[in-house]
Amino acid sequence: MGYIGKSMPQYDSFLKVTGTATYAFDVELPGMLHAKLVTSPHAHAKIIKIDTSKAMKVPGVVAVATGQEFPYRLGIYVGDRDVLAIDKARWVGHPVAAVIAETLEAAERGIDQVEVDYEPLPTVFDPNEALKPDAPIMHEKMSEYRVSPAFKPIPGTNIANQFKLVRGDVERGLKESEVTVEGEFDIPHVSHAFMELQSIVAHYGKDGTIEIWTSTQSPFSTRYLMALSLGIPIDKIVVKAPLCGGGFGGKVGIGWEPLVALLSKRAGFRPVKLVLSRKEQFSSAPVREGFHASVKAGFRKDGKMVAYKARFVMDAGGYADYTVNVCRAAGYSSEGCYEVPNIFCESLAVYTNKGATSAMRGFGYPESHWALERIMDIAAVKLKIDPLELRLRNLLKPGESETGTGERLREDIGDPVALAKSVAQAIGWGKPPEKAKRPGRHRGKGLALCIKGPAQPPNAAASAIIKFNEDVSVDLNIGTASFGQGTPTSLSQIAADELGIPVEKVRVGLVRSTDSTAYTWQTVGSRGLFTDGIAVMDALRDAKAQIKDIASQVLKVKPEELEIANEQVFIKGAPWHRLPLSEVVFGYTYPDGRSIGGPIIGRGKFMSPLTTYLDPDTGQGVPTIFHTFGGAGVEIEVDVLTGEIEIINAVQAFDVGKAINPLLVNGQIDGGWVMGQSVALYEQMVFDEQGWVVNPNLSNYRIMRAKEMPHRIEEIILETPQSNAPHGARGLGELVMIAVAPAIANAVYNAIGVQITRLPMSPENIWRAIQEQKPELIEEARRKLRESGGD
Amino acid sequence: MKVNEVDRKVTIKDNELLLDVIRDKVGVKSVKASCWRGECGICTVLLDGKPVKSCLVLAVEAEGRDVKTAEALAPEGQLSPLQKIFVEKGAMQCGFCTPSFVLTAHYLLSVNPDPTESEIRDYLSGHICRCGTYKQIIEAILEYAKQNKQGKQAGR
Amino acid sequence: MSFGSSYLTLPDFEYVKPKSLQEALQFIDQHKDEAEILAGGVGLFAFMKERLVEPRWVVDIKAIKELQTLRDDGSKGLSIGAAVNMNQLLDFAPIKDKYKALHDCISLLSDPLLRNRSTIIGDICEALPYVDGPTPLLIFDTEVEAASVKGTRRIPMNEFIRGVAENALEPNELAAAIHLKPPPENSKSLFLKHTSSSEFSIVNVAALCANPSRPEARTMKFAYGAIGPIPKRVHEVDGIFKRKAPVPRLIDEAIDSIKKSAEPMTDVLAKAEYRSHMLEVLAVRAFRRLLGS
Repeated sequence: MGYIGKSMPQYDSFLKVTGTATYAFDVELPGMLHAKLVTSPHAHAKIIKIDTSKAMKVPGVVAVATGQEFPYRLGIYVGDRDVLAIDKARWVGHPVAAVIAETLEAAERGIDQVEVDYEPLPTVFDPNEALKPDAPIMHEKMSEYRVSPAFKPIPGTNIANQFKLVRGDVERGLKESEVTVEGEFDIPHVSHAFMELQSIVAHYGKDGTIEIWTSTQSPFSTRYLMALSLGIPIDKIVVKAPLCGGGFGGKVGIGWEPLVALLSKRAGFRPVKLVLSRKEQFSSAPVREGFHASVKAGFRKDGKMVAYKARFVMDAGGYADYTVNVCRAAGYSSEGCYEVPNIFCESLAVYTNKGATSAMRGFGYPESHWALERIMDIAAVKLKIDPLELRLRNLLKPGESETGTGERLREDIGDPVALAKSVAQAIGWGKPPEKAKRPGRHRGKGLALCIKGPAQPPNAAASAIIKFNEDVSVDLNIGTASFGQGTPTSLSQIAADELGIPVEKVRVGLVRSTDSTAYTWQTVGSRGLFTDGIAVMDALRDAKAQIKDIASQVLKVKPEELEIANEQVFIKGAPWHRLPLSEVVFGYTYPDGRSIGGPIIGRGKFMSPLTTYLDPDTGQGVPTIFHTFGGAGVEIEVDVLTGEIEIINAVQAFDVGKAINPLLVNGQIDGGWVMGQSVALYEQMVFDEQGWVVNPNLSNYRIMRAKEMPHRIEEIILETPQSNAPHGARGLGELVMIAVAPAIANAVYNAIGVQITRLPMSPENIWRAIQEQKPELIEEARRKLRESGGD
Repeated sequence: MKVNEVDRKVTIKDNELLLDVIRDKVGVKSVKASCWRGECGICTVLLDGKPVKSCLVLAVEAEGRDVKTAEALAPEGQLSPLQKIFVEKGAMQCGFCTPSFVLTAHYLLSVNPDPTESEIRDYLSGHICRCGTYKQIIEAILEYAKQNKQGKQAGR
Repeated sequence: MSFGSSYLTLPDFEYVKPKSLQEALQFIDQHKDEAEILAGGVGLFAFMKERLVEPRWVVDIKAIKELQTLRDDGSKGLSIGAAVNMNQLLDFAPIKDKYKALHDCISLLSDPLLRNRSTIIGDICEALPYVDGPTPLLIFDTEVEAASVKGTRRIPMNEFIRGVAENALEPNELAAAIHLKPPPENSKSLFLKHTSSSEFSIVNVAALCANPSRPEARTMKFAYGAIGPIPKRVHEVDGIFKRKAPVPRLIDEAIDSIKKSAEPMTDVLAKAEYRSHMLEVLAVRAFRRLLGS
């Protein structure tokens, strides 16, 4: 049938293009009420009293809930989150109460009438200040929190997690280096800005069963963590995940679901719907943490990197639940795709009085690579070695090298050398860029490499169930959430290919429901195709074995002599001895009516025998189930007068092992470029001195649109198949935005000799950097402007 | 008002937005919302044939007028030629913004059957696709225009 | 602009749709501050969703024929009624031919869909620092026709914007139309704007030039906006360019004069220093393009 490597649209495209796809945003249950949050206007304040009496008098308001009523702690790695703020508000926008009403309008009238008495407390917004011994403490009860053993919050401080990666002896390495470079790098807070706002409909039944519809990537984690936190049996909770309008890591772990379920109970066991406003997505929902890196790298004169020392400080805001793992992942990815014998990285997630933070696409790798891939180019200048050549001399060697965590790379993990060269070639590396036509503009080329694997607990599992229907169509039952990445479609292709049936006969449902869907840990971390794919292939093997078992009895041969293709099972070499699958998948009935076998149900699973916990002091171990190599190259034009960067030519390359569906792989590459360029050039959440998010909307928080697309964008797919991966395929959903920012910044240096160390590279920030480092460029451009100026 | 060729009658308050009335009272869910401020374009509908952002239109302003949403492009379950090309090109990922882009592209092509890439980019400047499928969307529109020029389309 | 609350619904109000200008004027004379005008609604609804404005009445003026004028009268100039949307202005040939700065400004404003609803008068009445509309209107010596039950008065554009979200209309007045004076024969005009990490302008300029190569007859009108609450027409520029001197020197002097009058602000969109620099860049570009090489 040949579906492996075949480009085809996602299986739900008809629904999406006609607008008939249902998202949690669209879900309504009979008798449903609407919830609206009351949020704190203070960045740090004790909650003295909440008076809900006036709000209760607003027509249509059914109930008002406050944090005191819900004494539960939520979290996947660190249980630091209240359902609603209980004793104090920790940031401007922290939800402190919720109004439930018959209509959204009534709920919005209701929140105006909730009166909260606050006693402001000293604030701390700078994570470095928060690290000082006399800083106000965000989480006094930290020692009571449930903490996953992989993480180290430090009670009595604002440190939500401290991770250390220790390999070799970095101080000796630095001392023995012939050339050292240093740098400080910054990334502001960034919002996922998925288009479908977080939407939850929950119904707490009088019998204690809770039904939840939610926009999520992780129905099973949500169910489990909610049961854990609320002390409810797991099977009493049913989480349903319909098509999700964009996740990007912002709809993972556990979110607002427990709140909405508890509100449903509070409102007399009626269903309740909560949809966050865009402003609340910025100021109340978790966003990506602010990041600062101080790094020092040591090289030999020939370019071999011998030491890398880094300190990452993450501004993790009021709740740091998922960020503690982002902090860890940034730490163990600090040396990227290079072989470095001496590494020390200390990565800290620090509580401050800014909004809660959580995972976002890339999970610490965009952060670690911003520092690393910039330092490589900074070193290249000092070493007088070409940036591509410098990278080639340091790339991890499959089968030989060890990563920073001491993992020896598989032989079939990829071909980073070919990848780096393909990126370079695509942008004409080595050939100077064309001269910019207009005065004051300079062109430059830059590239950056990256590597990533899924950040998941070593025992994060996946499973799959394959069920046949009478007409040999198949229900492919997988827990893979569908938020645009296309994995379910690729998995259906794998199933069709393996079973020898048309892919149109493989049905992947639209809703993942924890009471009937096959379990997978979460759909995050670029793991889905690999973990769920292995489970699917395992289920296919199981189904085929069952088919062959039945057929062997009828055709009177051993099962290994049989083959399955074209909706038939037949004897190898003598295909005229065959049975149609339709006569086997529900058991086989002999002419006289006796029947053998039964409905075929293929069962598959995935667990990783190779990943381990990491050493608590050195971070050594095997943290991920695979690594994907990637890279980005770009040619840009900088206008030194305005600071504007125009992307002329962009390319991204990934060694995905096998592109099950090249159309979808290219879609990820292009989509990741867009998000990467957007974060690199435009996006920043801005906070004022009182901790308010000053730009909580999509005009002042600028997101890339069609008009900012590069002139040209190329996708390169390399395929070094990984033997333990489904058809050799590795994931790439997050890889696609890791190398973009550093590639652009590297190109800026190539164009105008200005080193950029902070994001975003907005026109003003670029102009300012030029002013500081090369004011003569601006002077010259201003002079030319006056002379001939019209451009 | 007429919604997708069907006369509909609903009771509204003055302060209700066209977006919310279409979704909640008329029950047409293809019209999504994401920012409620006219920044993202996801609430696009055709009002008397012209694309507007329905989060910034009062429902009462649409009284007696004609509203079309993405469903109108594919009555009877057959995708329009433009929708088919969107699907073939993979011009969607999570799909949440897709109805608004399809509707806007449909309108653009009806007034400018052979747009340049620059004109397409400008026309889409009021819409956001966070999954970043702009390249595929632009390709789909250009492909439709090309096929239309070559007379392969029945035109719509 | 950015702060305020997270409301998705509008506050309660009553919607009225007067059929004549007189009816509308009587209504707002009666209800004054409790009534807000609805044309495109882009600005009004954004303010209302933030609860910055909660009128008791919303007066939809789109059915009023007198407010739908769009007329270029040759020597009398261009008149645009309050209910004319921006796409209509883009389609109106005389604007593209003679009032190019206005055409350029509108074509860069928001997006084609919002322009099906927004009006230029709504834009200037919003009076936020980053609105682009006032700047090109300043170089065409525009007057705002403010109508009330007592009659009409003309407010010069350079007096119309008083501060952040503050315009010169009285509570019982409605901006019925704007009137642009006809530019000199064979003049050329343009509009430039600049953004940084926001969709909104941090600086914009408009300039008009006639007789570029004959100093004594040369006209150079110049205005800027978005760097502070109040857009400004810099009259001195006209006198500077009438002098006989090498053009680069005249440009230098014009820039000095512009910078003297300019008070760029620092806000979430940009810092003052950058605004000041970009004002110079845009102004020089504008002068250069209009004067030729």
